[in-house]
This record gives sequence, C-alpha cells and structure tokens, in this order.
Amino acid sequence: MVSAAPIAEVLLHNRSNPDCIQRNEIFCPGWAVDNFNRYVDPVIQHVVLVLASVCIGFAIAFALSLLAHRHRWLSPTFLGATGVLYTIPSIAFFFLLLPITGRGRTTAIIALTAFTLQIIYRNVTTGLANVPADIKDAGRGMGLTDRPLLWRVEIPLAMPEIIAGLRIATVSTVALATLAVFVNGGGLGVEIYTAGNLTFKTGIVIAGTLAILLALAFDLILVAIGRRATTWRRVASG
Amino acid sequence: MPDEAPSPGAPAQDEVSSLRYDHVSKRYGDSTDPAVDDLNIEVAAGEICVLVGPSGCGKTTAMRMANRTVEISEGDILLGERSIRDRDPARLRREMGYVIQQIGLFPHRTIAQNIGTVPQLEGWKRDRIEARVAELLELIGLEPGIGDRYPAQLSGGQQQRVGVARALAADPLVMLMDEPFGAIDPINRERLQNEFLRLQAEIRKTVLFVTHDIDEAIKMGDRIAVMREGGRLAQYATPAELLMAPADEFVEDFVGADRALKRLALMRVGDVELWEAPLAYVGQPTSEVVRKLEGAEVPYPLLIDSERRPLGWLSERDLAKGMVPATPDSPLGALLDRDDVLRDALADLLQEGSQYAPVTDASGRIAGVLSVEIISEFLASPAAESDERGAAERVHG
Amino acid sequence: MEAGGERMSGLVPHLSLGALGLFGDAFDFIFHQQPAKTGGGLATVGGLDQVGTLAVEQLKVTVLALGLSIAIAFPIGAYLGHRGAGEGMALAIGNAGRAIPELALIAFMAAAIGVGLGNLTMALAVLGIPPILTNTYVGISQVDRNAVEAARGMGMTGGEVIRRVELPLAVPTIMSGVRTATINIVATATIAPLVGVLTLGDFILSRNVYGDEGVLAGAILVALMALALELSLAGIQWLMTSPGLRLGRE
Repeated sequence: MVSAAPIAEVLLHNRSNPDCIQRNEIFCPGWAVDNFNRYVDPVIQHVVLVLASVCIGFAIAFALSLLAHRHRWLSPTFLGATGVLYTIPSIAFFFLLLPITGRGRTTAIIALTAFTLQIIYRNVTTGLANVPADIKDAGRGMGLTDRPLLWRVEIPLAMPEIIAGLRIATVSTVALATLAVFVNGGGLGVEIYTAGNLTFKTGIVIAGTLAILLALAFDLILVAIGRRATTWRRVASG
Repeated sequence: MPDEAPSPGAPAQDEVSSLRYDHVSKRYGDSTDPAVDDLNIEVAAGEICVLVGPSGCGKTTAMRMANRTVEISEGDILLGERSIRDRDPARLRREMGYVIQQIGLFPHRTIAQNIGTVPQLEGWKRDRIEARVAELLELIGLEPGIGDRYPAQLSGGQQQRVGVARALAADPLVMLMDEPFGAIDPINRERLQNEFLRLQAEIRKTVLFVTHDIDEAIKMGDRIAVMREGGRLAQYATPAELLMAPADEFVEDFVGADRALKRLALMRVGDVELWEAPLAYVGQPTSEVVRKLEGAEVPYPLLIDSERRPLGWLSERDLAKGMVPATPDSPLGALLDRDDVLRDALADLLQEGSQYAPVTDASGRIAGVLSVEIISEFLASPAAESDERGAAERVHG
Repeated sequence: MEAGGERMSGLVPHLSLGALGLFGDAFDFIFHQQPAKTGGGLATVGGLDQVGTLAVEQLKVTVLALGLSIAIAFPIGAYLGHRGAGEGMALAIGNAGRAIPELALIAFMAAAIGVGLGNLTMALAVLGIPPILTNTYVGISQVDRNAVEAARGMGMTGGEVIRRVELPLAVPTIMSGVRTATINIVATATIAPLVGVLTLGDFILSRNVYGDEGVLAGAILVALMALALELSLAGIQWLMTSPGLRLGRE
C-alpha cells in the first residue's frame, strides 16, 4: 500500500508529460495511454489488408496447386511464376502496379496477395505429395474416384502442411502490410511513416509492437484452426 | 599421413586380429538393469562370431561397444593385445569395418567415393584408392562401371554389397556387422549370405556379426553367442555344440524344436558312412548280379556304365532276363553328390519318394548309396563332436 | 506526361495506353539523364551513371548484410543441428523473424542508434539471420541419420562428419534459407533511403525529385536486381548440390 502510492504518482505525473515527448524518448507510456485511440483505425485497416490478401492468395494458390496435382507438367511453370512474384520486393511491386491500378488499398492488396502465392502453393503441393501412397491405394480400392479421394482423403491429410503454409504467409503479410502506406493503402505503416515522420520513437515502437502482436494473434488463431482440422492426429497419438 | 606405414602401436595392416570381451557390462543412466551383463567372449582371429538373441537382449549394444560407438561401463574389450579404451575412438573405428542394417550409404557421393571413404580419410594416394575400389567391386561381384553411379540408382541388394565393400576398403582388422542382411528379401538374403561366406573363405577376417535369426547364425557362425534379456550370455559354442547340447531351456527354445533337422545342415553327404549297392554293368549276366544281392546292404542293384556312372536301378523284372539290359526299369530318381548338405539330400529323397539315392563324387562316379535310414541313424546317435565340428567347418568353407 | 493512374482505376483501356506511355518514359529515364523535377540538390537525374551508383550501393548493402547474417546464423545453426539440440529455439527464431516489420525496424534503428551503413547492415542482418538459422538447423538435423551413423562408425571425427556428410546433404535446405534471407534483405535495402542510405529505392521514394517515370524506373530496376540475385543464388545452389541428390526427384 505504501509503495503503490508513489508509483501512481509518478505515472500521473508522466501523463502527457511534454518532457518525455520533447526528448523523444524511446517509449512514453503516458502518451501511449492518451493517444491509444489513434491506433484503432490503422489496426483495422491493417487487418483488412492482411485478411483480404491472404484469403485471395490462398484461393488462387490452392486452385493452382490442385491444377498441378492433376497435371504434373504444370508444376515447374507455377513454381516459377509464383517464385518471380515472391522475389520482387513488395515496395517495387506497389509501384509497378501504380500506373495500372493507381494508389490505394487495391494496389496494396494485389501486391501483398502476389507475395503469398509461392508460400501457400509450395506448402499445399508438398502436403498433397506427402500423403502416403498406400492410403490413396486403399481409398481407390474402396471405390473412391479422383474427386472424392482428393477432398475426403488427400486434402484432410495435407492439412498440417497447408496450415503451416498459411501461418507463414499470414505472419509475413502482417509485416509487409506496413509498407502499404507508400501507396496510400493505410495500415500501421501510417503511424510510422506519415504521422511520426520516421523520427517519433514512441510512435514507431507502438506501431511496430502492434504489428508484431497482430502477427502473433493471427498465428495463434491459425494454430487453433489447424488443431480443429486435424483432431484425428491428436486422437491417434493420445 | 603416409599411406604405407601403419599407425604407431597398431598391428601391421595385413594382420588379422582377435577380439576379446573381458567381463564387459553396459549400464545406462541410473537404471539398475544392465543392457549388457558381464559378457565374456573371445573371437579368434579369422573367425566369424555371431551374436544372436531376441530383441532387447543387448546383442547390438555389445557389438557397438567394440568400436566405442557405445562406451563400456565395466570391463574391457581387447583388440589383439591392446585395450580399446586407450585408443582414440575415431582412429579405432578406422581399423574396423562397420556395416549396419540400413546400410547408410552417402547419397551425395558415387559408389566409388563411398567405398573409398576410409582410405581417403587415411590419406591414401588417389591411384591406390582407385585400385582398391576396383579390387573390391570385383570381390563383391559388381561390375566396375557401377563405381560412377549414385546409391539412389542401385537396388537394395547392390547397396548392401557396396556397404560390405565400404567396410572392407581399408583392410580392417575386425568387421562389425549389425543385421547386415536384415533389410533384404529372403531370396537375395540367402545369396548375399553365401557370397559373404565365399568371401570370408578368401579373406578370412575376424567378424562380429549380430542377428536375431537363429538359422542365419547357424549358417554364418564359426561360433555362436546366444544372449538373453538382461544382456547375459546364455551359451557360447559352435553351431554343432549348440544344436546337440543346448545349455539350458532358453537356448533350447531359442534354437527351435527342429534342431535335429538343423543339424543336418551342418553335415555333408560325404561325411557319413554310405552303404554299398551291388553294381551291375550293361551286358553282365544277371546270375552274377543276383549272387551279389545276397547279404547286400542295399537290396537293389545299381546299373552303372563303363565310367562307373550310375544309370538307374534294376528291378526284379530286369533280373529275370538273362543279361543286364541297357535301359533299366526304374529311372535314377534322386542323384546326390558327396558335397551336398545332408539337409538338401534328405529333401531330395523325400521329394522323389525314394528310400535310396546313389551318391557320386566330383567326377560323377559312384561313391556309395545314401538311404533315409543312414540319416536317421546319424540323428539318433550323438556323433563324435569333433567329427561334426570338423564337418561344420568344411561346410562354412 | 500526366500519370493517369492518380485516381482509383476505372477506365482500363484509357489507363493502359497511359500506362504504356509511362513505361516507355521509365525506360528512357534509366538510360538518359533528364532535368530534376524539383530542387533536392540535383540538377539532373536519371541516366546510367546515377542508376549505376545507386545499384552498386544497393548491392553493397545487400551483400554486406547477407554476409553478416550468414557469418552469425550459419555456425550456430550448423552446430545446433549437428548436436540435435535447441530445436525449439531455432524454430522460434525463424517464426519470430518473419513477424518483424521492416519499416518499423529501420525506422527504430535510425531513431535509436542513428543512420549509416554500419547500423543499416546490422538492422538488415536482423532480418537475414532467422531464415538462415532455421534452415541450417533443419537442413543439418534432418540429414539421413543412417548415413551419419555409418560415417561415425567408420571413424570420422565430429568435424569430418559435418564437413563430409551433413553439410553436403543439407545444401538444398540451407541455400533455400539463404535465398529467403536475400529476398528479405533486398526488400528492406530498397527502403533504406528513408534512413539516409541511398539505394535504388531512392527513385521510388522521392517522387518529387525523380518524377513518375523515375518512380517506375526504380521499381523496374529493383525488381530486376532482386530477380538477378535470386537466379544467381539458384545457380550457385545447383552447382553446390551433388548430382546424387538430384536423382529421384520430380
């Protein structure tokens, strides 16, 4: 009780303490508490960017992978194409798209989607390839044709790999989406670049930390989804 | 590192060494049950010693202590005269050949590079390595061109042979083999076993061989060490002794209820005393033959040609004629060779449904007749141990 | 040449024509010097000279950061992988590294310890170390255990096992990590002008100086450089991979 009071006093004293801001210290808790609201919008924009990019990216990459699963010869082409998109730095991609799609969220989403393609494609393909041959054999022997075999057997068994790919893609996209600010795409990057002009330390720290926490949150959600989708694994080893 | 001079203190390269386990025990952590318990075995130079037993009996652990892949808890292992404990493990292992069940060929090196691994580590000159690789490829029965291929391109049996060649490359003093033929299908396994025995007849290495298969142990081993759970030695004996005189109930069970039949694998036809059949030539007066029949061991006359090669058995109808006919009534049926193993001979007799079969020597001439009775007499009597042991050695070459 | 893409896209045919024209201008920018749009201390911009200077700077930064990342991550990953220890940590670092936003990283670096090539290299190494560490660990620890056991049983010392068996077999996985690290580093080096190290990204980030065609030119150049590096590394990986490993693959 006795020790609590002085600490509270210190905190109160620091609230919006202009000194902390003036000296541009690494982290000013008072300022953070006061200005928390300004981060709500950027976070929401950030989440939208990530969700849109990953979902669209997953849809495309998944479809490509299924195509290549059926027609093996397509695989090198797809790998190459998605690889090119993965290699090109997002910021360059943003501005390559600029003349065509202009500034704004759309451009950002297109570029971020392109980045996720190879990761997801690779993981889905590997997951499907790692389904043991004898299980597929047993399935066919029971009378399953190609499509039911794929959806009822192969894809469920490939789920661990697929989820792993989604996790990697999502976490990477959260980090990359901070760059969306450069094409007016919103997101937490705004707080780092535009608002704080790259020098306001507290702002950078908060924005960066929020981005990392967001990545962690997405990761945990995906892990939970993954567990749900593979209960058979835990039951077997339990 | 000079490639001719042996490392200081070690025996000369072409000496083969004995291997002795002296009260060797292995304990893991604070577990009170030892993995290997007071093992005492001496493997004479040039002999194959097989460690055999059920899973978990410690046979693999025991073998791996010899090259310090597993460290000894108590006791000592002597390679020749020297304890392995004061040798540097890496140097020690280079003097031993090591073959494991899964082979473990290096997928990123060619066959030739795989085989030449230890010579290369030892600093041999390139042409010496090449010559040695060529020599070994021929020894194990693979074509020389295979040296440039990669393990992924070889069949399981071929890979297994390369594994053995790789272990032999630096002319080791001792070979350690852990279920080397375990991962192969039965047909190829038998072939590989025979080839290894043929090889051993030529190069006479000291071999410590681990298997869980008692039949393989009997076939391959000069001496067999049967181990039981708890890492204890149940019996250490020659195959013949093991089959005739199992030390206790465990060994008896492990060897199997058919150990009498297993003994037949150890003897050749030429090792038992054969019976005489009355011999008849083409054109001989049958009256002479009939006279010979009286008191003969085999109650049927055997027709032979001028080279004393058997042509067939004469029946009563044949004997009713005045002269011995050129073509006998009964065909030959089973025809045995003195070098045949008794077990195969018995199988042939049973197959043909005959009681007797003529036995020829290497040039095809009649040497005697084998009957089922001879075999069962052999099984019933405790044959002189030295006879059987000697015979067993001859079977192993 | 007014860039028609200022507004959100709507008129595709019209924009395509405009876009095509802009691409043409961008190529022109790369090869020929032109007057600067605003002051910014430069009279002329563009042309191969300037392109070359900035490209070299980006390459320098990338190579230095990559070298530092490899120097730190590779030995640690190799040692841990060889011993089979620290898997949790190796994987966690890999996962965590992915989550670091590069913009925040270099901004924080600049604000906290200042700008400059040395600081930037260290910051870039933070992004390059995780993939190399994780992939080196996974690559070495997942080498065929039978080959390793045979190697040890044959008398190879620990160092010989790493050099002659584990490393050659782990090359594909390790190089994959190096390539990922390179992509991360190149991407961040592109925005290095924000903290005072002028790389090709300067074209992209300073539109008022270089104009729309400069921005596009910068994007094209950065993309080309990234692709060139990736191809080179893929080639090196191909050379370093034993033919025995390439067999039996799809």
